[in-house]
Amino acid sequence: MAVIVEQLGWGGKRQRYFTVEGNSVTIGRSYQNDVVLDDVYISPNHLRLDAAEGGWWLTDLQTVNGVEIIKNPRSSETQLLDADSVILLGEGAEIKIGRTRLRIVSDSHSVDAAKELHHLEQDAGKLNRLSIWLPLFLISLAVEIAALYFSSFIEWQWKNVFSIILGTQAVLLFIALFWGALGRFLRSESQFLSHYCLILLAGLAYSVTDWLIGMLAYNAGTEMVAMILSPLNALLLLALLLSANFALATNMLPRQRWISSLGFVMLIIVVSITAQMSGWGEFSPYPSYFSGLEVPGLQFAGAESADDFIASFDAIFAAADRKALD
Amino acid sequence: MSIDKNLLQGQPFRLVALLFIVLLTVFLTARPTSGFAQSNSARTLFADNKAGILQIRIIDITSGSKSAIGSGFVVNDSGLIATNYHVVQMAASKPEQYRIEYLSADGAAGSLNLLDVDVINDLALVQRTSQGSSEGSSEGSSQASKPLAAVLPLAAAEPDIGVPVYALGNPLDLGLTVVPGTYNGINQTSYHPRVHFTGSLNSGMSGGPTLNQAGEVVGINVSTAGNQVSFLVPVTALQHLIAEHQLRGQGVDNMALRIGQQLLADQDKKFAQMLSLDWSTIALGEATVVNELSPFFRCWGGSNSSSEKAQLLSADRTCRSEDNIYLNEKFNSGVIEHQFFWLEADKLNSLQFYTYYKRLFSDFAPGNKAREKDVGDYQCDTEFVATNNLEAEPQRKTKAVFCARAYKDYPQLYDVLFLQGTVDDSRAAFISHFTLAGVSRDNAKAYVRKFMGVAQWR
Repeated sequence: MAVIVEQLGWGGKRQRYFTVEGNSVTIGRSYQNDVVLDDVYISPNHLRLDAAEGGWWLTDLQTVNGVEIIKNPRSSETQLLDADSVILLGEGAEIKIGRTRLRIVSDSHSVDAAKELHHLEQDAGKLNRLSIWLPLFLISLAVEIAALYFSSFIEWQWKNVFSIILGTQAVLLFIALFWGALGRFLRSESQFLSHYCLILLAGLAYSVTDWLIGMLAYNAGTEMVAMILSPLNALLLLALLLSANFALATNMLPRQRWISSLGFVMLIIVVSITAQMSGWGEFSPYPSYFSGLEVPGLQFAGAESADDFIASFDAIFAAADRKALD
Repeated sequence: MSIDKNLLQGQPFRLVALLFIVLLTVFLTARPTSGFAQSNSARTLFADNKAGILQIRIIDITSGSKSAIGSGFVVNDSGLIATNYHVVQMAASKPEQYRIEYLSADGAAGSLNLLDVDVINDLALVQRTSQGSSEGSSEGSSQASKPLAAVLPLAAAEPDIGVPVYALGNPLDLGLTVVPGTYNGINQTSYHPRVHFTGSLNSGMSGGPTLNQAGEVVGINVSTAGNQVSFLVPVTALQHLIAEHQLRGQGVDNMALRIGQQLLADQDKKFAQMLSLDWSTIALGEATVVNELSPFFRCWGGSNSSSEKAQLLSADRTCRSEDNIYLNEKFNSGVIEHQFFWLEADKLNSLQFYTYYKRLFSDFAPGNKAREKDVGDYQCDTEFVATNNLEAEPQRKTKAVFCARAYKDYPQLYDVLFLQGTVDDSRAAFISHFTLAGVSRDNAKAYVRKFMGVAQWR
């Protein structure tokens, strides 16, 4: 039976492991040991493990700093072993010697079944190619220029457009670099172009959906539609984008990703609602009416007669009376 | 743009601002002889009348100091004193916070009671509190019981245009001043009659009388447009108010109710007249818009056709009635405003044109900056409306907005805003808009109906 000694890192994640055949294992800093660890607080010959029924006997070999038992299936209490003490460890026990955390398991220890990789996660990784990024970049550039062009009613000047485009692309580049650096740090793998592609895609999706919402609100004749749908759409897209970026840059499980993304979006909602709360119910001498207008081609809603329109004034007067009584 | 600027509003700071002085003219003889009258000049009018000056002060009860200074003059034997409504407005709307006091030239002082107002003509009647007793007088019974200076006679007939008249008052609290000027008759460009007086009325002269050479009151100083263009309330309005008061025999208890009734009656009369008119029209682009409806309804217009850089064609026309009714320093009523825009895409494509159109459409608001204590919030409704002529093909489709806010102290009165823009042409647009201040529900609805029927792009 082989003994596996795992060296644990931040968050209890395995950094490296040692497989030792036989019934006895010694651990320490000197090269005579079966498991050689590089930690100045560990004694040259620190401890010995001897196979027993359903576990191991741990013997402290007169060390300076002793052995700390963090988790032991055989006993619930954590304790610091003195020099020369002996204790029975169960399968999966965690100990700390010096500054190093170790986990002891046998080679027959069972592991969880593999998590299924979402096909979108695989596809998102495929975005990390110049041949995908470049067309996407050019498309979003064209969309941005077109949006600027069609919303401009003064003389068209390219010099005005350049600064706007440079500004937005600089922001996108910065965000993509941030995610790329995060991936480099957490996964030793940078998917910079995938992040950039995802951001561009989200931007394009937002442009299209927001335009659709504006048209919908215009035809519905009420600003409420746009006021509710527009931020909802933006936040939903943001949550999707965050989750996808988390998937590429970190090792988070899907559930963790979604909780993190939605939590961030919730935070934005709470902050913006709090910020707006101070303005609620404040008196304004100006009327606030829905001023949206779209070209005739986008106008589908039917029109009522002037008489019907005038007949609806009574409700407005009644509402105005109620407001004046507040 | 308001040229009929109230004197009271011209001052930047409230405490130093509201300075008004009344000149009480003392005539020892009941009626001056004609020979004497003709020899009257600015000098003799001044000398004869300065003894009767009454200063009207609005006192903040909590601090005990004056918040505003006004003026008034005695108009009959029972000691009735006339002044401007805007002089006593603070005391009228907040009697628990302000009281009215007078100070005569000989140093006599006492409290004044507000009896009646005419907000339409900016007039008020006040009287000494409990005449003959010391109650309410800070100076003691001996002075309070003294009769006030003699009555100023009101002119029975309107003077001829061109006659010299003399405005008396206390400009900027500099002391009693006489301003000689010319009587120019009733101004035809104002719905509520105002005398055009060619002379410099300044802040602080509001509320003082303007006298003819016989020493009779021909008007009450009220406002100025600067550059020697000033306005007086015709003395006939004061005569009506005095007659109404005498008929009632006592002061008005509920001032807000009285003012509300006056506003309601005035708007009823005004809109009955406006709605009965056959509205004349004028072309703006391909649209038909409302022209000047009466002499007191003035229009201006402009376009960007001379601009080299213009990407689209824009022409506009704005009409406004000059009949501000002063309710308080931030709250005016009575104004009717029409506005029309004709837009053509010209060099722009449809999307660009509608971007501009949308921005223009979002920018409409009434000029009245009333505060929360005066009015409620605007309530609005937006609809797609097919214009009236249902038999016409193709039918015009518009986006129409209607907003209303209610007056808090004067029930059944509203400020309304109407806005309509065509949405069925991608290369041109027509916006028609109006605001009405201080209008009843029925009049507002009738006005919208009439306006929509006239201002059209067929």
